[in-house]
Amino acid sequence: MNTQAAEMLQGASLDFLRRHSPFDRMEPEALGFMAERLVLVFHARDSVILSPEMGQVRHLHIVQRGKVLARQAGSVSMTEYSALTMGPGECFPIGAISAHRPSTNTYIAVEDSFCFQLAAEDFMQLMEMSPVFHLFCTKYIASLLNQSREQLQSQFAQRAAEQQTMTTPLGQLINREPVHVAPEVTSREALEHMAQHRVGCLVIADAERRPLGIITQSDLLERVILAGFDLARPVTDLMTGSPHMLGSSASAYDAALEMATHGVRHLLVLDGDRRLKGVVSERDLFSLQRIGLRQIRAGIENADDLDAMRQASRDIRQLALNLIAQGIGSEQLTQFISALNDALTRRLIELQLEKHDLQELDFCWLAFGSEGRHEQTLSTDQDNGIIFAVPEGADSDALKQQILSFARAVNEDLAACGFPLCKGNIMASNPDLCLTLEQWQRRFVAWINEPDPQALLNATIFFDFRALYGNELWSDQLRTYLLSRARDNSAFLRMMAGNALSAQPPLGRIRDFVTDDDPVHPGTIDLKKVGARLFVDAARILSLRTGVAASSTVERLRQAGRKIGIATDETSAVIEGFNFIQLLRLRSQHLDTEHDAPGDNRVNPDRLNELDRRILKEAFRQARKLQTRLKLDYQL
Amino acid sequence: MNWLSRFVSGTRPELPAAAAAKIAQWQEGERGDHAHPHFETRYVVVNTEATGLNLDKDRLLAVAAIAIEGRSLKPSNALYRPLDDDPADGLADLLEFAGHAPWVVFNASFNRKLLERVFEARCDFEPDVTWMDLQWLMPALFPEFHTGQVRLVDWMESFGVETFQRHHALGDAYAIAQLLMAALGRAHDTGAINARSLVEIERSRRWNHRTV
Repeated sequence: MNTQAAEMLQGASLDFLRRHSPFDRMEPEALGFMAERLVLVFHARDSVILSPEMGQVRHLHIVQRGKVLARQAGSVSMTEYSALTMGPGECFPIGAISAHRPSTNTYIAVEDSFCFQLAAEDFMQLMEMSPVFHLFCTKYIASLLNQSREQLQSQFAQRAAEQQTMTTPLGQLINREPVHVAPEVTSREALEHMAQHRVGCLVIADAERRPLGIITQSDLLERVILAGFDLARPVTDLMTGSPHMLGSSASAYDAALEMATHGVRHLLVLDGDRRLKGVVSERDLFSLQRIGLRQIRAGIENADDLDAMRQASRDIRQLALNLIAQGIGSEQLTQFISALNDALTRRLIELQLEKHDLQELDFCWLAFGSEGRHEQTLSTDQDNGIIFAVPEGADSDALKQQILSFARAVNEDLAACGFPLCKGNIMASNPDLCLTLEQWQRRFVAWINEPDPQALLNATIFFDFRALYGNELWSDQLRTYLLSRARDNSAFLRMMAGNALSAQPPLGRIRDFVTDDDPVHPGTIDLKKVGARLFVDAARILSLRTGVAASSTVERLRQAGRKIGIATDETSAVIEGFNFIQLLRLRSQHLDTEHDAPGDNRVNPDRLNELDRRILKEAFRQARKLQTRLKLDYQL
Repeated sequence: MNWLSRFVSGTRPELPAAAAAKIAQWQEGERGDHAHPHFETRYVVVNTEATGLNLDKDRLLAVAAIAIEGRSLKPSNALYRPLDDDPADGLADLLEFAGHAPWVVFNASFNRKLLERVFEARCDFEPDVTWMDLQWLMPALFPEFHTGQVRLVDWMESFGVETFQRHHALGDAYAIAQLLMAALGRAHDTGAINARSLVEIERSRRWNHRTV
């Protein structure tokens, strides 16, 4: 054994590595480290290189020559991503070796193959010494996130077996040519056309088939019959302009979200040239789901008492369960829940405004906290407040009392519909949270200028506000004010950062996860406190620092990340991590709901499957990365 | 006139002390029975580099050896030894490294013979090792690729094996070592589970292909 021989053979390994990504970009010392330790092994065709039964993975394998097939083992093998072939330069099993676990895949040589092996301890050391390799592995693991989503989908698929998927492109849902008329025709001709074709919805389009407007049957009662409309007038006077439109590649889910958000029953579907391709109605989407949006929406809109609203609220929960079964990601799902909950809340507010004779009130109903961020899960209590304006000459105290009694009624109705009253009394009926714009501004600036612990806590709740009902001008002004004040005050942001760092991701040095010693929930992790919150807090600070007005965590990360120059890949990895934790939260709540247990945010990592556990660990690592950035930025 | 002739008996100089000690130790070492499975057997690929291919005229420039242990190749488990004017130290190092493992060569008619001659001339003995010749073993194990005694480069092509430098003692040894790993894999799968059975395969093949 002399060094000359070793150097030459290592040189051969180096030559190989330098021809393949990511090694070609790796630091010279790291490459040298690898070359010194790589061992070459032959695997005959059809032989098993690695399988779950072999226990904790002891080597990273890099294909030097030949082909290796990775096959998903065990119960999840029916999913699409189950088989994958790897050639020279590709490595496996990155996820398992990082997590010190057995592989979830079986790796088989499909040709006579040679693989380099790197011992697991050397792999870990390499991750530490080489940022390039570390990034490579991190990205690889992040890509597993999508696989997990698919796996989640199959878990729920049984319950949703009879349902067609909400991911169907709209183009496939259209089953007839759209009925449309030119803008020059009279209203009478247009309605005759509708009757002749027996359609509930008529599109007005120009000669290029570009949609200009829409008439639906439900418009007719009010606009034609009751209004005594002159049918000789052009159809353009009768139609609803700027109709809601989506491309034909948008999914049924997108359409459902659009309908839920805007309260419409029909959407126009356009082809690649933005020409009319067809019309999708709620009825079309309804056929995709047991509990349709149509019913929920109609339930909410037509509800004029609390019982009907409660039914609508139950339906929203059931719908969310169906959607999760259809494999919708957490970002869309929470948005969806949020859109329907918003509609529900708006209807409750409308009903109470009537009862309290406040239709003329110039005000804005604000949502705070997770609701303000569009990140409601199914067990979120209510956090809300009011900005109101006092008309000239009015008695502001008397007005405020009137508004407070209205707000209390809304809070109670919301509680009856499954949004528990806020234990911290963060509700519009609290006199401290029912304020004029100037009063809100004074409160905000006081927290920013004197950030004591209570002020910092308040900031984490109230700075995530958005308008839910009423005059959005008020909330816009409050936002502009907040951003200008917070941005100038780096001491405040630094305190916020310190506060955000007080909770840490539950990653263990010895075990994968540090679990709670809470006697009621031993061995569990609170996904809200030490999971989602870490992302939410960091995103809030980034958004305040960069003047980003968005209130959702994902949007804040995206926009603020772009502004301060965090690489898109890096931001995406963080967002994936956050979404995964949210998904786990939603899932545990759903499963709990079915068992009638109170939804909580706890997960027992030992009960997660292999893949989820690994991804959860990576998600926590992303949180740690985000925290490290805060530490550096604010020198904490 | 052979370059070794100056070492021929009578005029052969004393072996350097270090080399003599290594040789003595090697000669005392235990010969294995080569009955252990491949996974537990240490094989040593031995290769030479000479000024040409004429056994009578050309001189040995370097020896190289790569061990295959546990059916795997570790870069640190290798030897490369350019030979000095006096090859004694180099030969002793080769004995020390290769020990009594089976010595695997490609084309024994040249490599083995050359080594044996040099040992005989300089050290006054021929190492009594178990030799294996992949040029004979490969077609026996992989008849789907080649049935005759083809060149190293042909086998390298068949397996897509590459090396860092051809016609270099260690460079070729690296290619041969990779072929050996493939051979051990196939041997294992076809029931030739140890070195002894490989020796047997080679012998019967040589018998069947003997030139009449």
